[in-house]
Amino acid sequence: MYNKKIRGPLIEGNKSIGQITKEIASPMDVQPGLWWYIAFVISSAAALFGGYAIYVTVSKGIGTWGVNNSVGWGWEIVNFVWWIGIGHAGTAFSIFLLILRQKWRTSINRAAEAMTVFAVMCAAIFPALHMGRVWDAFYIFPYPNTRGPLWVNFNSPLFWDFTAITAYLLISASFWYLGMLPDLGTIRDRTTSKIKKAVYGLFSMGWTGSSRQWIRFESLSFILGGIAAVLVVSVHSIVSTDFAVGIEPGWHTTIFPPFFVVGAIFSGFAMVMTLMVLIRKIYKLTDYVTDNHMDAIARILIFISLIMGTAYLTEVFIAWYSGNEYEMFTFFKNRITGDYALHFWGMIVCNALVPQLFWFRKIRRNWVGLLSISLIINVGMWLERYNIVVTSLSKDFLPSNWVSYSPTVIDIGVFVGTIGLFATGVLLFMRYIPMMAISELKSVANIGDKKED
Amino acid sequence: MTRTFKIGIFDDEGKFISTIRSLQEQKFLIFEVFTPYPVHEVFHLLKRRSRLPTAAYFFGLFGIVATLAFLYYTSVIDWPVIYGGKPFNSFPSFIVVTIVVTIFTVTIASLGLFSARSKLFPGRDNTIFDLRATDDKFVIVVDTNFPDISTAGKAGTIMEELGAIEVIDKEFDNVEV
Repeated sequence: MYNKKIRGPLIEGNKSIGQITKEIASPMDVQPGLWWYIAFVISSAAALFGGYAIYVTVSKGIGTWGVNNSVGWGWEIVNFVWWIGIGHAGTAFSIFLLILRQKWRTSINRAAEAMTVFAVMCAAIFPALHMGRVWDAFYIFPYPNTRGPLWVNFNSPLFWDFTAITAYLLISASFWYLGMLPDLGTIRDRTTSKIKKAVYGLFSMGWTGSSRQWIRFESLSFILGGIAAVLVVSVHSIVSTDFAVGIEPGWHTTIFPPFFVVGAIFSGFAMVMTLMVLIRKIYKLTDYVTDNHMDAIARILIFISLIMGTAYLTEVFIAWYSGNEYEMFTFFKNRITGDYALHFWGMIVCNALVPQLFWFRKIRRNWVGLLSISLIINVGMWLERYNIVVTSLSKDFLPSNWVSYSPTVIDIGVFVGTIGLFATGVLLFMRYIPMMAISELKSVANIGDKKED
Repeated sequence: MTRTFKIGIFDDEGKFISTIRSLQEQKFLIFEVFTPYPVHEVFHLLKRRSRLPTAAYFFGLFGIVATLAFLYYTSVIDWPVIYGGKPFNSFPSFIVVTIVVTIFTVTIASLGLFSARSKLFPGRDNTIFDLRATDDKFVIVVDTNFPDISTAGKAGTIMEELGAIEVIDKEFDNVEV
C-alpha cells in the first residue's frame, strides 16, 4: 500500500520514555542560567513600574490617562482586547486540537495554556481599572445587595464580558492545572530534595498514575475540553459585542464576532510561536518541538492571516457599499488616509502581508524568521485594536466632538507593567513547572517513528 | 491491617498488557496497575469506566435551569427594569450569560466530583507502590490474599516469565488508592 509520510515523527531522536521524563524535567533540577536572572530582574522591574502606574491611577483617578470626553476608551481597552486575544491561543490550541485529536499538540499545549492564564490575568487588570473606582469593582457581581437589591443589567455586553472573562480565567487555569497533575506527580517521585518533595507532593494531590485515576483524568479532560471549546469562540465574540452594540461608525457591524475570534486566535498562535521558538532554542528541546511543529503553526498562521486580510477588505468594501457617509468617512478618510493612517497601514502590513512570507519553507524553518514574524503579528494585532477603538471614537458624527488621542506615561506604564507581569509569569513557569506535558509526550513517543512502519 | 502485595515492574507496554491478561486468566486479583501514561488496553482489561460524562450532563442541565431561573427571577420578579424598551424577560440576551455560567458550573462541579472520586486533593497521601510508575515503568500490583496466599508465589512467577524486570514483595499498613 502506498504509505507516504506526510509528517515526520512527533518526537525526534527515538526517545525512551525514561529519557522523556529526564529531558523535560531536567531544567527544573538545575539552577537556571544567568540569562534567566537578568530576564527576571527586567520583567519584574517592568511589573513594578506597572504597579506604580496602577497606584497613580487608583489614587488620583483615570484622569491621569490620555482618555477624554470623546475618546473614552484608549490604550486600556486596546490593551485589554489585545491580551484577551493572546489569551485565546492557549486554550484554542490545546482544546481544539485535543478535540480534533491532533497529537502534535502534546509538546506545546502546556506552554500555551500557561500563556493563556497569564495573558488573561493581565487583561483582567484593565477593565477593573477602567471602572474608575476599582474598590467598588465587586458591584458588577450579581449578588443580593442592600441597594434594592438592584441587579446588574443582564442585557449588557459589558456584563457578559465580565462573566465570560471570569469564567474563562478560572476554567483555563483549572484545565492547565488538571493537565499538570500527572507531571507534578512525576516530579515528586523523582526529586531527592525534601522541600521539593513536600511542595510537589502537596500540589500533585496524591497522583499515583493508577488506572482508576487515569480513566477519570482522561474523561475529565475531554469533558472540560469539549465544553471549554465553546468559550474559545464565545469570549472574544462577547468582547466584540462591547463594540458592535455601540453605534459608532466602524464598530456597528455584524462582522465583528467572527472577526474578533479569528483575530484572537491569530495573535494567540503568534504568541505561542514566539514562546516556543524561545523555549526550544534556550532549553534545546528541538527534539520535542520539532521543525514540523513550528511548520504546522506557521501554516495555521498563513491561513488565519488570509482570513484577516479578507475581513479587512470586507469591512472597507461594506463601508463603501452601504453608501453610509459616516461609515465611508471613518474608513476612507479617517482610517485609510487620515490621522491614523499609520496604524491602519501598519495593521494591514503586519497582519495580512508579512505573514504571507510563511509560504516559503525556508522561512517556516528558520527560527529568526519565525520569531520576528510572530512578533510582527502581535504588533499588528495591537495596531488593529488601536485602529478600531481610537479612530472611531476620535471622529464620530459631530465634528465639534472631534479630538485627537495620545496616551500618557501612566497609560504606557500600565501596559508595560502587564508585559512585565506576563514575562515574569512565563519565567517562573519555565523554572518551576514542566514546560511540556510529560505524560502526554510519553503516549506519543513512538508515533511516526521508524519503529511503527 | 497489614497487607502484602506482589509488585511486578515492567518496562515494556506490550509485555505488561499480556501479563495482565494471563494473570486474569489464572484468576489472580489485580489490585491496581500504575502506568506513566493512560493505556487504554488496561481500561478494557480491568473493566475501568468512568461515569463522569453522565454526571457532567446533569451538571449542565442544572446549570442551564438554575441560571435561567435566576435571570428570570432578578429581571422579571424581583426588580424589573426596562432596558431600551425590551421585555423584562428578554430571553435571547439571557442566552449568553446562561451558556457561560453553564460551562462554568459543569467545569467546577466535574472537577469537584473528579477530586472526590479519585481522591485527589491537596494533602492527600496515596500509597505509592513504586516510585518509577510515574517515570517510565509499568507496575502491576497483585493482592496476595486472593484467591489464596499460598498461590501468591505463582503470580510472581507468571510476571517474571512474561518479562517483568523485577518482582517485589511489599507490605503496607494502610493502603490508600
